[in-house]
Amino acid sequence: MSSDNERSGPTGDDELSLPKATVMKLINEMMPSDIVCSKEARDLLIDSCVEFIHLIASESNEIADRETKKTIAGEHVISALKELGFEDYVEDVEEVYKEHRQQQKDRDKRSSRLEKTGISEEELLRQQELLFEQSRLKFEAHH
Amino acid sequence: MAGTTTTNAGAHHQQHHNRPSFDLTQFWQDEMTTTQTSVPNFRTHPLPLARIKKVMKTDPEVKMISAEAPILFAKACETFIAELTKRAWVHAEESKRRTLLRSDIAMGISKTDMCDFLIDIVPRMEATDASKVEFHF
Repeated sequence: MSSDNERSGPTGDDELSLPKATVMKLINEMMPSDIVCSKEARDLLIDSCVEFIHLIASESNEIADRETKKTIAGEHVISALKELGFEDYVEDVEEVYKEHRQQQKDRDKRSSRLEKTGISEEELLRQQELLFEQSRLKFEAHH
Repeated sequence: MAGTTTTNAGAHHQQHHNRPSFDLTQFWQDEMTTTQTSVPNFRTHPLPLARIKKVMKTDPEVKMISAEAPILFAKACETFIAELTKRAWVHAEESKRRTLLRSDIAMGISKTDMCDFLIDIVPRMEATDASKVEFHF
């Protein structure tokens, strides 16, 4: 038995696996309420999912290599899914990717907006405290 | 997602006397609808990103991982679990069971083309003895 084959061992709630309770919750959300999933079935799903991650990660890594990139990016993951027969997953995954990029953009816009005002951090904190105080007073006035 | 499964269950009960109503095309249509209409929440992912990243890094070949990669993996994993679970459900229904057994999952896997990579963790014996024994590993 090779020592580097730990990942094909039994499901444990350790670092090389996925959290059992979370996965069980996911399964229950996907099924009608009268369907129950046995723990053994859930564990096999977890093991399968872990193998799935290894498969896609390995392929994504190769694709990144081919493009002489040092980091596995979203595009590599999407290409890997297509390459390995999971094209049906791509639309969903691309949607998630798009939303993530939009969130990043909004986050960057917000932080650059504050920077653009040229106000120092101490001054910003002071202004924030002022606003808190004002709303505190308003709250107390009505209660 | 809860809305999606309720719809399927409703359709199923109507066709109960014929055969299981699992429709792969419908499954993907529903997934698309859910993705398009539901408001995704990125601050809470069902599957923990740190864990996914750790699993990825078990492979010594895997180098640096971008911030978005685990997020995409989380979605792909959810979809993967959803597909295998629903395929298992078909078999449970055929045996008139309300409980998903390990053999149902194994059967679903053996019938899925792109799941050849799972051949090592799902001994074929499990799938064929579905009606008899529950294997525990």
